[in-house]
Amino acid sequence: MSKELLGKAKDVLGIARKHGAKDASASVYRSRSSVVEWRDGKLDRIKENTRFGLSLTLYVDGRYSSHGTSDLRPEALDRFVRETIAMTRHLAPDPHRKLPDPARCRGAFKGDLKIYDAPGVAAADPVARRRAAKALEDAARSAEGAKEIVSATGISGESASEEAMAATGGMEGERRTSSFSQVAVVSVRDKGARKPTGFWYCADRRRGGLGPIEAVGREATRRALEQRGAAPEPSGQYPCIIENAVAGQLFSWLLAPLGGSAIQQQRSFLADRLGQAVASEHLTVRDDPHLVGGFGSATYDGEGMATRPRDLFERGVLRTFYLDTYYASKLGKEPTTASPTNLVFDPGPRDLRGLCAAMGKGILITGFSGGNSNSASGNFSIGIRGHWVEGGRPVRPVAEMNLAGNHLQLWKALVELGSDPFPFSSTRIPSLRFDPVQFSGMDSKAPAGA
Amino acid sequence: MKVAGAGGAVVTLPVMAAGCGPKAHLGAGARPAGAHQTYFDQFGLGRELIEKTLRRALGRGGDFAEVFCQHKISHWLGMEDGQVDRAYTQVRLGAGIRVLKGDATGFAYCEDLTEEALLRTAAAAATVADGTPIARPRSLVAVPHVSQYQVKLPWSEVGVERKLPIVQRAEKLARSRDGRIVKVTVFLEDDVSRILVATSEGRLVEDDQPMTTLRVSCTGRSQGVTETSGQSVASMDDLSFYTDEVIRKCAHEAADYTTLLFGAGSPPVGNVPVVLAPGVTGILLHEAIGHGMEADFNRKGTSIYAGRIGKRVAPKDVTVLDDGTAPRRFRGSINVDDEGQAAARTVLVEGGILRSYMHDRISARHYGLKSTGSGRRQDYRYPPNPRMRNTFMLPGPSSPEEIIRSVKHGLYAEMFTNGQVMIGAGDFTFYLKHGRLIENGKLGPVVKDANLIGNGPRVLEQVDMVGSDLRMHSGAGYCGKDGQMVPVGFGLPTVRAHGMSVGGRKS
Repeated sequence: MSKELLGKAKDVLGIARKHGAKDASASVYRSRSSVVEWRDGKLDRIKENTRFGLSLTLYVDGRYSSHGTSDLRPEALDRFVRETIAMTRHLAPDPHRKLPDPARCRGAFKGDLKIYDAPGVAAADPVARRRAAKALEDAARSAEGAKEIVSATGISGESASEEAMAATGGMEGERRTSSFSQVAVVSVRDKGARKPTGFWYCADRRRGGLGPIEAVGREATRRALEQRGAAPEPSGQYPCIIENAVAGQLFSWLLAPLGGSAIQQQRSFLADRLGQAVASEHLTVRDDPHLVGGFGSATYDGEGMATRPRDLFERGVLRTFYLDTYYASKLGKEPTTASPTNLVFDPGPRDLRGLCAAMGKGILITGFSGGNSNSASGNFSIGIRGHWVEGGRPVRPVAEMNLAGNHLQLWKALVELGSDPFPFSSTRIPSLRFDPVQFSGMDSKAPAGA
Repeated sequence: MKVAGAGGAVVTLPVMAAGCGPKAHLGAGARPAGAHQTYFDQFGLGRELIEKTLRRALGRGGDFAEVFCQHKISHWLGMEDGQVDRAYTQVRLGAGIRVLKGDATGFAYCEDLTEEALLRTAAAAATVADGTPIARPRSLVAVPHVSQYQVKLPWSEVGVERKLPIVQRAEKLARSRDGRIVKVTVFLEDDVSRILVATSEGRLVEDDQPMTTLRVSCTGRSQGVTETSGQSVASMDDLSFYTDEVIRKCAHEAADYTTLLFGAGSPPVGNVPVVLAPGVTGILLHEAIGHGMEADFNRKGTSIYAGRIGKRVAPKDVTVLDDGTAPRRFRGSINVDDEGQAAARTVLVEGGILRSYMHDRISARHYGLKSTGSGRRQDYRYPPNPRMRNTFMLPGPSSPEEIIRSVKHGLYAEMFTNGQVMIGAGDFTFYLKHGRLIENGKLGPVVKDANLIGNGPRVLEQVDMVGSDLRMHSGAGYCGKDGQMVPVGFGLPTVRAHGMSVGGRKS
């Protein structure tokens, strides 16, 4: 099947050359996804999607442009390529735009990444999908406290995609991926008109890799119920733990300033920190594109360069930037790759319960809201919800609070990682314990004057 | 894979976003002549094939079927480090087919408009029902409308050479505004979207949806400190929108919003009285309150506003509208919604009383009401949902000066860049890019980098002064919900509110 896509990608390169592009790279992709949502005792929504499209990068007379289309009718495609090439000729030349060095595209990983489950994809069954979605809702409603449920939804989804890429420098690549997921969403009654929502899921590259549906449904209900009665705590500096399922959001803010564009455009507070400690010695992270079954696993990157594992943080010391060919050239550096693949953390010895026991008193963060991180300064600010922990145990729910600081201080305050890497994301981050962190919440009284 | 968080909705003002992604100009060719043809005839998608597709969609006993076709061409032209050296195109051509059985939705789309693909897609959507055909689609009759957003010169006929001067001028104006501006990035986006909605009830609606956006992002440097900010302008318009004045204002504001951050402190944290400046702060109205008034959350009982129609939700000076019929410079304006219903002006809150939710077809049917023309979708790849268009609060009796003067010590919130709300609980977080302190009833020093946190319905209840100076945000706002982004407009007069806490770094 992919051979057909690769043939199509190469055809597009031929069209691009015919119309005057010196170099080009083309990706052709096709995907299918199916989702069933079962809500409050009946079928609510089914979605069946089929995608088929092309993305094309052009290098014309030293000028650059990039394009995508889902209109692949032959006459439309020829015209699309001709017009985009004509458009490119109006741009300013840019000597830093070029295809990756072919040497960087060779030697791609040959092993099986196990990111496509052929039997699992072949076993697609709409009836089974409905049964699964219903079972998710039933499980949510079987949990303790379920009488407080206002609405519960089970969602069962799967997708499969294939893509082929070719470039005029000789690079050729093909990949297929699949993913399967089970999701439960539960709203419950609270004081007044409040209806907190809880949500849980599991996901895997293989159909058989999904855990039991019952656990997903019950967990969603538990997560909704535990937010009831949530209120802010007083502002102050507290120790805190960020649960694995949400810690990736905070960590992604530390990655944003490592990108080539941020560095070259002087919007990175980490631009001069390669080789320096920017986090505590507890933080060791490896970028591993070859992780078996990983959601970020790939043998070649978006530019066609062969992927390879690299150290990101080693005992808190920053070891790499994410540089594509373009920004590496502008910066006079060697390219790495444009963006993270799978991030694998050196775990600690204790699970979330153990982390809470070690913290004793503080805030356990289980959800973020809104927020912003300034990649130029490292300042960040984000709304949180979770639990107040005392005696090593969650004692009351917390909401409408804010966590703020500067990344250079925050990550130095990382005192421990959990033993619980989050399995349903390409960022396999464990729960994180910090001490101390600045929170703002409720003040004893609003200042007079209004 | 991405699994979207549940029960949340997010708004972004991409003033800082670098454009990326696709475009193309590829006009599909001359508009076919003749009253019986549609734009999509040129893709082989004639009326007969649409009717056949609708029959297939109802083939398993669905109550209602709809074919939504779209051809959307978007271009981005970008400037960085003083050169216009990048361009992107995205062409989207496809059809989304929806079948309703009671409240349940079957939805499928394809990116191939051949008969075989359309019938296969219709059959997939049809499986939401599992019986034999009950309804037969009626013959399609075109429902014409007069477009409020017609442009003289479609973007599909504008070459890059005519767009270049806009981008270059914006860059030069921003860069030369202040010696501390060290980097300027400019993106010009234009979209031409042609949609067709055909329903099993026999309605055939077509619409043209132009849009353009100019984004200017700046990085400033002073005494070793880096600050970034930006500005955007958007309109459902053509090239003539970009007058010297429009470009200059956008470029200068992008630079000024960056340099004013130098030396700005952090606001005091905790509960302080907040005065919302007019304009972009309307994002708070949109997020914290508007989403809770979208009928799908209420139909499911999951909104904090469920069951509260006719009840008081705000003081008497508060009237909130969601208006799809606004002028073209308000980004959420539409001729028809994405279910083919005429745009409308919906009174959500009148004199403090909750009057209406925003409805699409499903929720309107559930409540036994007419759709409010709020059924919107990102594109053919998504089923429609009740969504906001242009959301704003009508002006009130107070002068802006009087409102500021009434606060001894507080925060004047001027620029929000993003926000999020938990729709069931109503809790929100908004990021304040910059604002001013209010000291002894006067505007004081600039403050930056803080979150405003609170509960939407509670804040609405505590709005106690509404200014006479309604202003609409003029930039490129997007709203995200159910994994779909749609352009929206919003606005607010100067408003005094309570019950929010300011979260930031301790200064």
